[in-house]
This record gives sequence, C-alpha cells and structure tokens, in this order.
Amino acid sequence: MATTDVKQPSSPVTQVVAPTSRLKSALANQQLLLLIVWLVMVLGFSLKSPIFFSVDVAGNIFADWGPLVLIALGELIVVISAGIDLSVGANVGFSGVIAAFAMKALTTAGVASTPTLLIGVLVCVVVGSLIGLINALLINYAKLVPFIATLVTLGAASGMSLVLTKGAPIMGGPAGGIMLSVPWIGPFSKPVLVVIVVVAVMWAFLHKARFGRYTYAIGSNAFAARAAGIDVKRHIVKIYMLSGFLAGLAGFFFYLRLGGGAPTSGYGMELDAIAAVVIGGAALAGGVGRVSGTVLGALILTTVTSGLIIVGVDPSWKRVVVAVLIAVAATLQALRKSEGGAS
Amino acid sequence: MTERGDVIYEVRNLCKRYGAVVALDDASMKLHAGEVVGLVGDNGAGKSTLVKCLSGAHQPTSGQILLDGVEREWSSPHDAIQAGVETLYQDSGLAPHLSVSANVFLGREELKPGILGKMGFLAQKSMDTRAHMDLDRVGIAVPASGRSVAQLSGGQRQAVAIGRAVAWASRVIILDEPTNHLGARQAGEVLHVIQRAKEQGLGVIFISHTLPHVLQVTDRVVVLRLGRVVKDAPTSDFDVDSLLGTITGLITD
Repeated sequence: MATTDVKQPSSPVTQVVAPTSRLKSALANQQLLLLIVWLVMVLGFSLKSPIFFSVDVAGNIFADWGPLVLIALGELIVVISAGIDLSVGANVGFSGVIAAFAMKALTTAGVASTPTLLIGVLVCVVVGSLIGLINALLINYAKLVPFIATLVTLGAASGMSLVLTKGAPIMGGPAGGIMLSVPWIGPFSKPVLVVIVVVAVMWAFLHKARFGRYTYAIGSNAFAARAAGIDVKRHIVKIYMLSGFLAGLAGFFFYLRLGGGAPTSGYGMELDAIAAVVIGGAALAGGVGRVSGTVLGALILTTVTSGLIIVGVDPSWKRVVVAVLIAVAATLQALRKSEGGAS
Repeated sequence: MTERGDVIYEVRNLCKRYGAVVALDDASMKLHAGEVVGLVGDNGAGKSTLVKCLSGAHQPTSGQILLDGVEREWSSPHDAIQAGVETLYQDSGLAPHLSVSANVFLGREELKPGILGKMGFLAQKSMDTRAHMDLDRVGIAVPASGRSVAQLSGGQRQAVAIGRAVAWASRVIILDEPTNHLGARQAGEVLHVIQRAKEQGLGVIFISHTLPHVLQVTDRVVVLRLGRVVKDAPTSDFDVDSLLGTITGLITD
C-alpha cells in the first residue's frame, strides 16, 4: 500500500493507534506462513519417501489441486461477502453429468471430439452458473440465509444427479477427452494450466478491480455498502453465479479425468473448499481473505493427501491433519482480530 | 446567524405508514443553502423515518420531496447520492475491513483509464491521493489512506465518515447522531466540520439527542413529536429547557 505522507492536521484528530507488535506483523503474513508449512510438508514427505519428490507425484498433486482450487476460489469470494456456498460439490457432479449426457449425444451423432468437448465445457459452466443464480435468487428474494439456500441446491443437485444417472457414470463421450488430463509441461496438464490462468484472473478481479472492492464491502458491512449506493442484490447474484461457474468448470475437470460424468464427482468437496479457504486465512464472518491464501490452502490439502498415501500412512489421517490445520488457521485469524487489525 | 441562500431541500406533507403504524404524519420542512437545521424529537418521534425518506432509504407513503424546487422521488439511496444528497447514518456508515480511501470512494470508485477501466480495474493510487486531499479539505486529517478503518479510533472513524459525506455532498448533507459516543474534543471537531460544510453553501440536517450541540451548531430547529412537526423556529428562540419542553410536549404553542 502506498502510504501518503502525514501532514500536520489543521484540525487534529486523535493519534492513530499503532499496534504494530512483532506478533501481529508475523501473523499478518498468513501467505508466508502457509508457504513455509507447505515447504516443510514437501521436505518431510521427500525425506520419508524417495519417490515423493518427482514430476509424477507433482502431476498427481496438481491434478487434484486444479478442481479443488477452482471451487475454493468460488467459495472464497462467497466467504469474503460473508456468505457460504454449500452447493459447490453437488454442482461439480451435476454439471459434469449434464455435460456428459450432451457430449454422449453429440458423439453418437458423429460430431468430432474437439467441438464436442468445447460444447461440453460450455454446458458445464452454464449449468454451474444457473445453480449459482438459483442460490442468489433464494438469498435475495426468498430471504433465505446463504447456508440454507445453498443447502437446498446441494440436496437438489446431488439428488438430481443420482436420479438422472441411476447412480452410474455417463460414459460414451469424445475419446480425446481423457488424453487432456496427462501432464503436458512438467507436472502440469493442459487443464491445470487453464486453472492457473483462472487463478490469475480471479486475483486481479478480487484484489485490483471494483468487483472485489464491492465483495469486500458487502462482507465487511452490507448496510454501509447499500448506503454507499452499491446494488447489493445484483452483486450477490454475480458472486454466487461466479462460484457456480467455477464449480461447473471443476465439473468439466473431473469429466476429463474420468472420461465420463459421474454423479458422485465432487461429493463432499464443499467441505474441502471451505477448509482451503479457512486455512488460507479467510474469515467466515466476511471481509477477509486473499486469493494467494486460498491457492496455498488448496495446495496444502492436496499435498497432504498425496503425501500420506505415498509414505504409507492410512490416508484417513488426512482428515485429522486438515482438522488441525483449520484449528490453527482459525486461531490465528481470531488472534489477528483481537490485535485490532484487519487484513 | 449567517445570510441564508435559496431553499435547497424541502418536504411537503410527508406521510409514512408502516402497516397500521403512522410514523410520519403530514410533516413539512425547508432547508436553505448554507443553513444548518437541527432535527430533534424523542425516540419514536419520527426522526429516523424522516431521515430515511430524505436519504432515499425508504419511500414516503404520500407527500412531496423537492430538491432545488424540483419534485424528486428517490427509489434508493443511490438516487439521492447521485443528486448530491449525502447521508451519514448512526455508527454504521463504514466498511471496517476496507482502507480509508476505499471507504471514501465506496460506491463511486475511480477506474483506470482505457480498457482496464472498462474491465473494472481501480485507479487505487489516484484514489488514495484524492481521499487524503478531500479529507484534508474538510478539515479532517487521518493519516495513511491505505490503513484499514478497523485500525482507527472511534473518533477517527466518525471523522472519516463525516469527511466522506461532506466531500461528496454537492447539495445536502444529513448527519444522523454524528456526535454519538464521541468525547468532548472529538465532538467539537465534528461540529467544526459541520460549520465548514455550511460555509461551503451546503444545506445541513443535523439530528441529535445532545441538545447543547444542537443549540451550538444549528440555525434553526425542527421539533418532531409523534410523527408531526410541532415546532419550526430559529435556534435563538430556544434554550435547553424550552427545547426539552417542546420535545417532551410539556411546552406547546
């Protein structure tokens, strides 16, 4: 932040409280802490198992990270606005299933692989955005709190996925799809590279643009946002539609990895997304959170999962590790708040 | 006190009902340019309702609102802000997680020139500089526009909120209990800012329970009781006792 020089006030207002203790400045840099945690994890797993530090394992980690960070970024903007989106996991499965039906039909009709896949990704993001739109309408006009509104769409979308597929994955789409998921440059597959671009775009719009400014303002004080003339309802629509859009994109990611649309894809992922967001330093009360924190939070989650499997620890321990990380991150958040500063 | 300008903001026969409850009953008042009007009344007298109608937060059931002699209808606070009517609400006007400059520019962010601006990217440096200048101009010096509002003291926050309202208001500024929860010195600074706004030719509506502040800073006082305007007279006609008597209904004309 550029700090404007302090002039002597013509009408002096009270001195600024300056609680810049060492503790606070250390806590304030959550991203640095997360980076250190992640590096320590990578180092620990590498020492424990010689095969951990490899392009193959990195490829797996990033393949898991891709869809997770997509829905976690959607969750992040919702959480910054002081809302919550429980429907993202169900959205992944539902949008993937609908796109799988569409791509199966196109493939059966003899349409080539590439246009079919392009239509598939379009169907995913449109279906995903529509679920987000329903969330926003329930919040704005049915006056449901975000938790309930998105619980409704979670249930409806995951139920519909099972009904439409009778529980089995929908295969028979374009053959070229699954090949896209293999690593292309180093450990990065083409879809993962797309995710990295999405991360950069989200960073810019959340931290440098009016979209983000309004999102933080609504989460910080919705009354003040409204009084300042911001159309809060309209912005809520944008926020939840963007979250749905990103979940739909994650649905396509899963489709590519599986080569089909499974109703169970994304099952329970809303909790991983919330975990990534909280570990990344966002506050569920709203107004706080950074893209960089969420990206690292998601990376830590996927690294833990892969690492535990590779070093031969029961992967069920992952939940315990994640629980501890959430507790630590939330505690830091609370401490930072009691120190009197906001991010 | 000082010479008054033209009538800048006016309400005629304003009524507001919430279901069966009549919150505002045939209220009329005028505000001149360069004038500070105190709006006083007991709890439930209709002050908040009148403020909400004047700021566009609520729509009156009947009656007229005129800005510069032209009848206006505010469908949202945005409409009133666009027309130059700024409102400072009790306590809750700022977003604590945002910086001082982000708060000053909230809802009217400056965008970068060209294609980046079209995409909604913010001209942050320019806003930081201008926020500092604007606050300085209205007599408020809050260091470091980049600092988040949560890190400011209560008095500074209130100063930023008022500074923002004065900086943006082109016609009218409505201050709802701006001296609440402030110490004597900070309240004095707020009253000073109100004087500055008045000298700039703004019309100021000052709502307060602190009667000495009302007597100190206003030119005229409008007393509301049970939703009706019961008194509208120059401030020099009142002292604390007679004002209190009028508010409580012990003194009637």
